[in-house]
Amino acid sequence: MVGPLLKGLKITFSHLFKPAFTVKYPYEKIEVAPRWRGKHVLRVDEEGREKCCYCGLCEAVCPANAIRIYGEEAPLEKSDVGKIAVIYEIDYRRCIFCGYCEEACPRGAIELTTFYELAEPEREKLLQTKETLLEKR
Amino acid sequence: MVMWIAVTVVKLLIYFAILMLFVAYGTLAERKVAGHIQDRLGPYHCGPHGVLQPLADGLKLFFKEDIVASEADKFLYFLAPALAVVPPLLVLGIIPIGESITIAGKTIPLPIANINVAVLYFLGVTSLSVYAIMLGGWSGNSKYPLLGGLRSAAQFISYELVLGLSIIGVVMLVGSFNLVDIVKYQKDMWLFIKQPVAFVAYMVAAIAELNRAPFDLPEAESELVGGYHTEYSSMKFALFFLGEYANMVVSSAIATALFLGGWYAPCSFLSFIPGPVWFLLKTFALFFFMLWIRWTYPRLRYDQLMGMCWKYLIPITLFNILGTGLVVILKAGGV
Ligand code: SF4
Ligand code: SF4
Repeated sequence: MVGPLLKGLKITFSHLFKPAFTVKYPYEKIEVAPRWRGKHVLRVDEEGREKCCYCGLCEAVCPANAIRIYGEEAPLEKSDVGKIAVIYEIDYRRCIFCGYCEEACPRGAIELTTFYELAEPEREKLLQTKETLLEKR
Repeated sequence: MVMWIAVTVVKLLIYFAILMLFVAYGTLAERKVAGHIQDRLGPYHCGPHGVLQPLADGLKLFFKEDIVASEADKFLYFLAPALAVVPPLLVLGIIPIGESITIAGKTIPLPIANINVAVLYFLGVTSLSVYAIMLGGWSGNSKYPLLGGLRSAAQFISYELVLGLSIIGVVMLVGSFNLVDIVKYQKDMWLFIKQPVAFVAYMVAAIAELNRAPFDLPEAESELVGGYHTEYSSMKFALFFLGEYANMVVSSAIATALFLGGWYAPCSFLSFIPGPVWFLLKTFALFFFMLWIRWTYPRLRYDQLMGMCWKYLIPITLFNILGTGLVVILKAGGV
C-alpha cells in the first residue's frame, strides 16, 4: 500500500520541475490552424467588386440564424452579375462559427478567417455589418 | 512588569505578522505548486511571477458583495467565520520558534507563553475549530453546508484521537508536555527518527483535521458544492479560508517542534544560521508537504476515511505507545 503512494508522490514531484505548457496568452499567442474558423470576411474580386450576389444561400443554411441579408440590383461596375447585398449582417451573439455559410456560398464570397479575438465590451458591438466584414483592398 | 507586557505585545505583533504573511503566501504557494505539478504556471501576472497575487485576492474579497442567506440563523452565521480564525491564533502563543534572544543585555524568551501543558493546550484549542465548521454548516440553513458540517464533525472527532495518541509517544520519551522541553530533548537526534510511526500518524491526522485533500470530504466540491462554506461570500468566506491556512501553518509548526527538532539545525556545522530561521524553514517544508499531498492523491470515500482511522491508525498508534513504553521501561532498567 505504501509503495504506490510514494510512487505517486515521486511522479508529482518530478512534474514540479518540468517546463510548463502554459502560453502567457495576451503576451504570447499560438499559431492557429489555417482551417481555423474565426471572423468572417466578405471577399471582393480583382476589380474591387463584391463577390456576393445576394443568392441568400448563406442565410438559408445558417443553423444559428445569425445572418441577415438584403439585396438590390446594382450596375455592372459594382457587381458582375448585377446584384449585390446592400445589408449583410452577421450577429456574433448568435453565430456558432460552424462555417456552413462558407461551404454553402457558390461564389466564395464569404469566408472565415483565422482572426479569433472577437470579445467586445458591449453586446451591441458584436453585430457585424457590411463595413466591418467587407474585405479591404 | 510593564516591560514584560510591552515585550509580550511586541512578540504577539511580530508572530501575528509572520503568521499572516505565511498564510498569504501559503495561498500563493498552494496555487503555484498546484500549477507546476500539473505542468502549468499558476498565478503569473500580478507582479513578477505572481508575487502580488495574495494582495489582489484580499482586495477582491473585500469588495465582493456580502450575501447573507435569508433563512440563516444570523447570530451563528456571523459567529462561525470568526470562530474559524480563533484556534490557530490561540495556538500561536505556544509555538517555540526559538529558545531566547539577548537584546541590550536582557534575555528574552522567544515563545510567547512557555506553559508546561502546551501539548494539551494545543490539542484542546485545535479541537475548537470544528465548531466553526459545524456552526457554519448549520447556520446557513441549507443542505450542502449541513452535510459538510456533519461529515466534518465525525471526521474531526475520529482523527482527534489519532492526533492525541500519536503525540503520546513523544511525551512518553521526553517526559514533559512542555514544547520547549520537547525541542530541547531533540538537540542530538530528532524525534521523528525515534518515533517514525507517530510522525506519519500525526501528519495523516493533521491533514485530516485540516479538511485537506485527500481527506477534504467536508468540502468535497463534486458532491457538496463548497461544503460548509457554500452559503458564505466575501470576507466571511475569506475568514474561513484564512482559518484553514493558518491552521495548516500552526499544525506544521507544532509538528516541527514535536518531531523535526524545532529550532535546531539538522547538522552542527549549519548551526550558524539562527534557530528561528530553521524553525520557519522546517515549518515551510511541512507546509509544502501538505500541498504536495493534496495535488497527488484523489479524495477518499467517506467509509474508507473512517475505516482508515479506526481500523488502522488507532491500532497502529496504540501499538506505538506500547512499544515506546516498553523501550522507556527497559532503558530505565525497570521491570
Ligand atoms: S459560421 Fe455558421 S453560424 Fe456563423 S454565420 Fe456562418 S453559418 Fe451562420
Ligand atoms: S451564399 Fe455567398 S453569394 Fe450567396 S448571399 Fe451568401 S455570401 Fe452572397
